[in-house]
Amino acid sequence: MAGGYAGKFLRVDLSKGSWDDFTIADDVLRQYIGGSCLAAKLFLERYPIEADPLSPENPLMIMTGPMVGSGFPGTSRFSVCAKSPQTGIWAESACGGTFGPELKRAGYDGIVIEGRSEKPVVLSIIDSKIALSDASSLWGKDIYEATDELKAADRSIKALVIGPAGENLARIAAIGNDKGHFSGRAGLGAVMGSKNLKAVLVKGNAGKAPKADDDAFKTAMKAAMQEIKESALAEGLHMMGSDANMDLGMVTGDVPVKNWTSGGEFDLANSLSGPTMREKYLTKAHACTNCPIACKRVVKVEDGPYTAEEGPGPEYETCAVFGTMLMNPDLTAVIKANELCNRYGMDTISCGSAVALAMELFEKGTVTKEQLDGLDLSWGRMDSVLELVKKMAYRQGFGDILADGAVHAARRIGGDAIDAVVHVKGLEAPMHDPRGFHGMGLAYMMSNRGACHLQHFVLATEQGMASWPQLFDMKDDYQGTTSEGKAALVYNSENYGILANSLAICHYVAYSIKPETLRDAFNAVTGFGFTFTDLLSTGMRDWTLKRGFNNLLGISKKDDILPKRIMTALDTGGAAGSVPDVDLLLKEYYELRGLDERGFPKAEILAVLGLDDLKARLYQ
Amino acid sequence: MPIKAMTQEWMDAYKAAIQADPDYRNIAKDWEGSVALVVNPDPSKNVPEPIYLFMDYWHGDVGEFVVCDKAKAESARFVMTGDYARWKQVAFKELDATKALLQGKLKMKGDLPYVVRNIKTVNKVIDILGKVDTLWPDDHK
Repeated sequence: MAGGYAGKFLRVDLSKGSWDDFTIADDVLRQYIGGSCLAAKLFLERYPIEADPLSPENPLMIMTGPMVGSGFPGTSRFSVCAKSPQTGIWAESACGGTFGPELKRAGYDGIVIEGRSEKPVVLSIIDSKIALSDASSLWGKDIYEATDELKAADRSIKALVIGPAGENLARIAAIGNDKGHFSGRAGLGAVMGSKNLKAVLVKGNAGKAPKADDDAFKTAMKAAMQEIKESALAEGLHMMGSDANMDLGMVTGDVPVKNWTSGGEFDLANSLSGPTMREKYLTKAHACTNCPIACKRVVKVEDGPYTAEEGPGPEYETCAVFGTMLMNPDLTAVIKANELCNRYGMDTISCGSAVALAMELFEKGTVTKEQLDGLDLSWGRMDSVLELVKKMAYRQGFGDILADGAVHAARRIGGDAIDAVVHVKGLEAPMHDPRGFHGMGLAYMMSNRGACHLQHFVLATEQGMASWPQLFDMKDDYQGTTSEGKAALVYNSENYGILANSLAICHYVAYSIKPETLRDAFNAVTGFGFTFTDLLSTGMRDWTLKRGFNNLLGISKKDDILPKRIMTALDTGGAAGSVPDVDLLLKEYYELRGLDERGFPKAEILAVLGLDDLKARLYQ
Repeated sequence: MPIKAMTQEWMDAYKAAIQADPDYRNIAKDWEGSVALVVNPDPSKNVPEPIYLFMDYWHGDVGEFVVCDKAKAESARFVMTGDYARWKQVAFKELDATKALLQGKLKMKGDLPYVVRNIKTVNKVIDILGKVDTLWPDDHK
């Protein structure tokens, strides 16, 4: 057996209340590695991709990778995968925290959950004993309450839990791990809710999976720790969290303002930034399992209208979507909105984007105070926003319309509301403006779960957080507001970055260490002996497999577009006057990726990557 | 007439350029503290010894701007160190200083959150640096 793997996967059929183990051959693991890549392979082989995402036929997969639980920095990750109820295409959402390493310690590389339970249940894998237990008393409780109750008897248990949003099948529902870590994007909490699965608990006693070469692993581990120690990026993340981007991003034009209609709001950024959070509300930095960076924020708000008990603080994305996007300068209100999303189990990006849409439509008079049950949704009115977030989780009033995300909401509202939504393939864009960084625009167009900043390393390479000339041809410094040369940058940053979700390793650690160190650690764990070429080829296979999955669901070139709002230049800010050259970006990218005029992978590319089954389905 | 880089005459010209900039005073109104630049030697580029530059900035004003010794440089609130070639890339705007820091091509000792919060000031002084008519060590014998 390849090193690093626990050696088996758990399949649970909630309809029958049964479960069994299954294994995957080494040669398949070598091709697909793990995480979301292996999940896509299993999905295409075993499940009907045309199934309704909220039906029992849509499997929910919780997958780790070979590095997880190895002790290497940043390897706490796991990916939750399914067909998305929000977008109707491939969905994956990676998460840090504690669950992944514990699942490996329990002797499993992943869990595949099929069917639907008649009643709410909790799946537990505790000390090698598997059980499905009644969760009726937990149904309706928020993620913090349910997690505390589930872990009350044994704090060492690691929990994945949904909240009211998942139970109510909000298509932007998230899954929470131990209250501070979330699989947020693409509505996977609703898939869990559709299965009447309130929580998955795990506690392991199987020990660590054996590594192929312990001495080589120790050498790579030592190198990684030294590289992280010397990394200014890692230092900045430790001190300021991901919200370190707020001040810098406002200068470069990265940060969206007022639902993507403005820029250059430096005072607003200053009030919401990582340094401000550190100075006023941070109580401590928190780390995922085996992470020396500790980028997570723990915050507390003692005064003002939005007091918050000590708990998980907001990431940059949340500070932007509930801050600059809503013209809200009050960081305490962002902290409160983050807490509500955590408790109810909603993706902050999708939730805040839906609220931003509602605010814009309120300003235009398309949405009225009456429709909002009396809420004044003027820009910056965070008291109203917090009420609306609750209504979304419980599908009350106008909250019911917003609960499925901005795209579904705009379609229900009608008219030109969709023009006020920044999305690709149905997923609202994260808080990085493609007008400031054209490569990110291409990455949004081509990411397989819709507009995404985490299916690749474009954020790091285009914005200059990392430079890896030893891995592929790249410059030290890219100008953000140009499209020239970006297709190659995106293509290569995808092939390397997408591996983060199959190995599985944190982006921030991967940005902070040398590719050689990551390669050596991967080989020491697995024994695969991969070169850089092998790793990048695996990334190519991963991307192409998921693209094919989406092609089978009707995705084609017509869907590889940026929304009207992004194609409209701003007057102010770091990105003023700039829009991506979409034609150039796509033309060059399609050539590199081997896509035909329809946007399908060419047959010869599929053959080279060993995706013959997919080739047969796409070209039958 | 270009001035030889990293000499006292060049530091005086840089200080004058900052003082003459119409936007600097407002952008840098919140900045407090001295900055030292340490240029690592590179004999192949006509930089045989390390060079230490000390610059004092205070709420939009500029104070002491001197070529100094190691001890004075290390007394600055912020000390940035890098190879000569990197500094020249920064001056020519071929490499953004923030990106250089993140990529490890420049090192900084000092309060990183403070620098992040005042990134506009940092960008401004680098922008002005590029406007000083400069003769670089590897451009002359």
